[in-house]
Amino acid sequence: MLLRVSSELQGHKVDLAAITDPKAADASGIPQAGVLIAFADAVVGRDDGELGRAREAVLDDLGAVGLVDAAAVASNFERMVRIADGCGIPLDPPIVVLSEDVRDDLGLDQFASAASTPGQGFLGRSLGPVLRAVVPRLLRIAGSFRRS
Amino acid sequence: MGVDFANVGFPVREDLRESHREAWRRLASPGSWWSGGERVAIAAEVRAARDCALCTARKGALSQSAVTGVHDGPGELPGAAIEVIHRLTTDSGRLSKSWFDRVRADGLDEGAYVEIVGVTVTVVSIDSFCRGIGVPLHDLPEPLEGEPSRYRPAAACDDGAWVPMLPNRRARGDEADLWTTLGTGNVIRAMSLVPDEVRTLNLLSASHYLSMEQMTDLRKGREGITRQQIELLAGRISALNQCFY
Repeated sequence: MLLRVSSELQGHKVDLAAITDPKAADASGIPQAGVLIAFADAVVGRDDGELGRAREAVLDDLGAVGLVDAAAVASNFERMVRIADGCGIPLDPPIVVLSEDVRDDLGLDQFASAASTPGQGFLGRSLGPVLRAVVPRLLRIAGSFRRS
Repeated sequence: MGVDFANVGFPVREDLRESHREAWRRLASPGSWWSGGERVAIAAEVRAARDCALCTARKGALSQSAVTGVHDGPGELPGAAIEVIHRLTTDSGRLSKSWFDRVRADGLDEGAYVEIVGVTVTVVSIDSFCRGIGVPLHDLPEPLEGEPSRYRPAAACDDGAWVPMLPNRRARGDEADLWTTLGTGNVIRAMSLVPDEVRTLNLLSASHYLSMEQMTDLRKGREGITRQQIELLAGRISALNQCFY
């Protein structure tokens, strides 16, 4: 959801399908998405040769600073997912409402860890579409206010 | 190799180096429920899990409970602790409440469990960074002497997770530094039964991802990658680990 909102805040539309389908990376609208997806896959994977090739590709496209940042972010989320799954936390209630369409599109509700989050009630399902339209605008206004 | 990126061949940010050094110092120190020696033993077990035959077999099985055996590794910790470390390291996306209840029934206290989560994720993350940039893993630190504090925050309560956590309001008292906003996300509160693990999480998140303040500005990226690219990586890593959160 942060990917969608951060993109909308900058006036870009992104196709989130790349999150679950690497073949969609080129159509995602995000620069170097294919290289970054391949790097993420190699970091999580066990093939050191694959990781070496993915690392070189990031170095070529994004430079050493980009590689360090990409490795730092990937390893950060190797930590966060295990905290969430290991502690059995539910998705935060506002995110449950705001992310319903993304979860549907990407099939995230099929993940076993979805069991930690109770289903949303009638009110949440009703408010979801409205909030998903309004919240990015509010965040954009808040961002403008912060910069000024 | 200690916590040093001197021979990498390209610059590594100083805040990353410093946060790794501090995380390693904390890893070696007595925690709330485990001694320094036991915490370093948890770290060693994390590294062993990567090549554990039982974990590999379970990862490929439709039902993990159908595959039985003994985990490969140093084996210096209680069996329930080893099970938690290996499962969290190699297949966290398929953990379930019934599995959690079983390891608790095997004698693992809630606080001890949360501290294992904290140490495990610290080591997984720092090792993953080193693999990512292609440098050797940091040597594990020498444990420091001392007894666990047995500290448990009085305000910790059942708030919908498997483990108790601090309520979603401004953090107070001895835990006032954990978050300074009116409330925070569940993933930050998740380990608050062991407040020092949240402190280490905050330390590493600020250098690996973004500080709490930077996170709220959704245009804010890093020097080498944009915020969109950051969130793309975050989303892909979460999906690969089958993390719903």
